[in-house]
Amino acid sequence: MAGLMEFRIWRYDPERDARPRMESHQIETTRGMMLRDALLEIKRRDESFAFRHSCGEGVCGSDAVNVNGRNRLACITPLAELKAPVVVRPLPGRPVIRDLVVDMSRFYRQYEAVEPWLQRADPLPEKEVLQTPEERARLDGLWECILCGCCSTSCPSFWWNPDKFLGPQALLAAWRFLADSRDQAQDKRLDALDGPYKLFRCHTIMNCVDACPKHLNPTRAIGHIRELMLKKSV
Amino acid sequence: MSRGLSGFRAWLWQRATAVYIWLFTLYLVWHFLAAPPADVTALRAWLGGPAVWTGVAILGLALLLHAWIGVRDVLLDYVKPPRLRVALLGLVLLYLLANGLWLARVLLEVG
Repeated sequence: MAGLMEFRIWRYDPERDARPRMESHQIETTRGMMLRDALLEIKRRDESFAFRHSCGEGVCGSDAVNVNGRNRLACITPLAELKAPVVVRPLPGRPVIRDLVVDMSRFYRQYEAVEPWLQRADPLPEKEVLQTPEERARLDGLWECILCGCCSTSCPSFWWNPDKFLGPQALLAAWRFLADSRDQAQDKRLDALDGPYKLFRCHTIMNCVDACPKHLNPTRAIGHIRELMLKKSV
Repeated sequence: MSRGLSGFRAWLWQRATAVYIWLFTLYLVWHFLAAPPADVTALRAWLGGPAVWTGVAILGLALLLHAWIGVRDVLLDYVKPPRLRVALLGLVLLYLLANGLWLARVLLEVG
């Protein structure tokens, strides 16, 4: 794939613009080019254009944007996969700071709320807390989350209640520690997740699964949390 | 764990009532296909039998509970102003209560 491709970019500077606008760019594309490369080209043409990016290889999770209606990481989205015109907007449901840069502080607060670290009642051993290979395998599909926010910002329940519903990313992280054999705060964690909002606003819409660039499954993790609550209650 | 009918407890009740509603609906479909009552008198006699009467009474309660949790979930999601939400919840509760009373009246008549 090579040739000219049209990009429609969402532009908005709250300090200057009365309202957001879509800006059109024709970019000369080359074989193997990623969306991030096209955004960098637009940035080269217009320095005032703002978007987050860092590692360029789907590890840091900085450059999550909404592309043709779907949340994706720009650095690992090949242009060959996209239909022109490529419409790029900021992640939905988050306040915009400028152009494609959104305020993710609420998202991080929800992550922090699940206390994403190992908690133990027993004294820590000299070296490490050992796990069997099976216990370790339970964490696969959970620890790989890079906090890009593609899942939570594609979740309608998170759009409606971003302050109360933890969102798929935080709930995936919650299950990552509930499932960890080394953690000893299971009851406390489950109690903290109960109530009408934090966990139970999930209606299994599964936008999170569709959006995750690491192919993780927050909906399944949420199901596991509910199953564990059920097991503990009987 | 949950206090009252919220969070985990509401979720569990919604699923439990769904299973009962599904199973009883299957029974109703099977009954009305296999041995449909000949007239209203036969229908009343069938409904007045202790097993069916109890089953329908539980079905009514299950439907009311299932609907209450479901509609309340929708209102929690979409209606933010507290006064409007309380008013709508009140209307839903009244509507469900009226349906429950109507079902109770029918059951008491045939029981």
